[in-house]
Amino acid sequence: MVYQDTLQLADHGEGAYEITDLIADFIKESKIRIGTCQLFIHSSSASLLIGDTADEATKNETAAFMAQLAPSSDNIDNKINASMDAIPEAMRYAVAQTSLSIPVSNGRPGIGVWQGIFLWEQSKHAAERKLTITVTGE
Amino acid sequence: MVHQQQLRISTRGRGTFDISRQVDEVIHDSGVKQGICQVFIHHTSASLILCENADPTVRTDLETFMKKIAPDGDSMFRHIDEGPDDMPAHVRTVLTQSSLSIPVDNGKDTLGTWQGIYLWEHRTHPHTRKITVTVMGE
Repeated sequence: MVYQDTLQLADHGEGAYEITDLIADFIKESKIRIGTCQLFIHSSSASLLIGDTADEATKNETAAFMAQLAPSSDNIDNKINASMDAIPEAMRYAVAQTSLSIPVSNGRPGIGVWQGIFLWEQSKHAAERKLTITVTGE
Repeated sequence: MVHQQQLRISTRGRGTFDISRQVDEVIHDSGVKQGICQVFIHHTSASLILCENADPTVRTDLETFMKKIAPDGDSMFRHIDEGPDDMPAHVRTVLTQSSLSIPVDNGKDTLGTWQGIYLWEHRTHPHTRKITVTVMGE
């Protein structure tokens, strides 16, 4: 059985937003008990991330790390830019995930106690984002 | 047809552990001849990679690369309750994979000759890691 829908997610501004509950509700609605759930985001400046939910700092520091690894073009100062140390912003999107796949067990997301699913809005010019969820199984 | 099974893998601390054989055993047990195998790790400080398995130096070099881009004890990290390797472990997880999807054909995984599935432990201390393997197909 396959259950699929595309949801519009409201604009939350730059940052990481947990969407685990939304995914859990969707899996419940699908009535699929065992299988997989695939998430796909239709954007090149927002991505998906499985992150730690125990400490808020983890989420913020992951974003800070990525910003350092691949700075936004509007944050790059000329010196860094000239030294070629900076990776274009697009690289950050490439390193992050556009699609995530998780198990479905007992009609729920089969993920760890401290794992959460986040939508990571990487653009200062955030917008509504389209997310397609596909639950496959029986 | 859906078959789901959990694996528990004991790690000896930071490093990569080949789990290709265990995953292939689950595929064999599932009876699925053709389809997809999803491997998912239930942690945010250990991850999964597909990597070349001929020369172990490749994995040593990956370790060196990660140490360079997310060094233990980096002063930019504040999430250090569990030690200097705490936040770098989360960063390493985000940069690699929590979930892998592999085609199944003839009742076996279709990994390339030099591809192996590895659990990458990012914490310096040994842990027992939980993995869910879901095989779907017919």
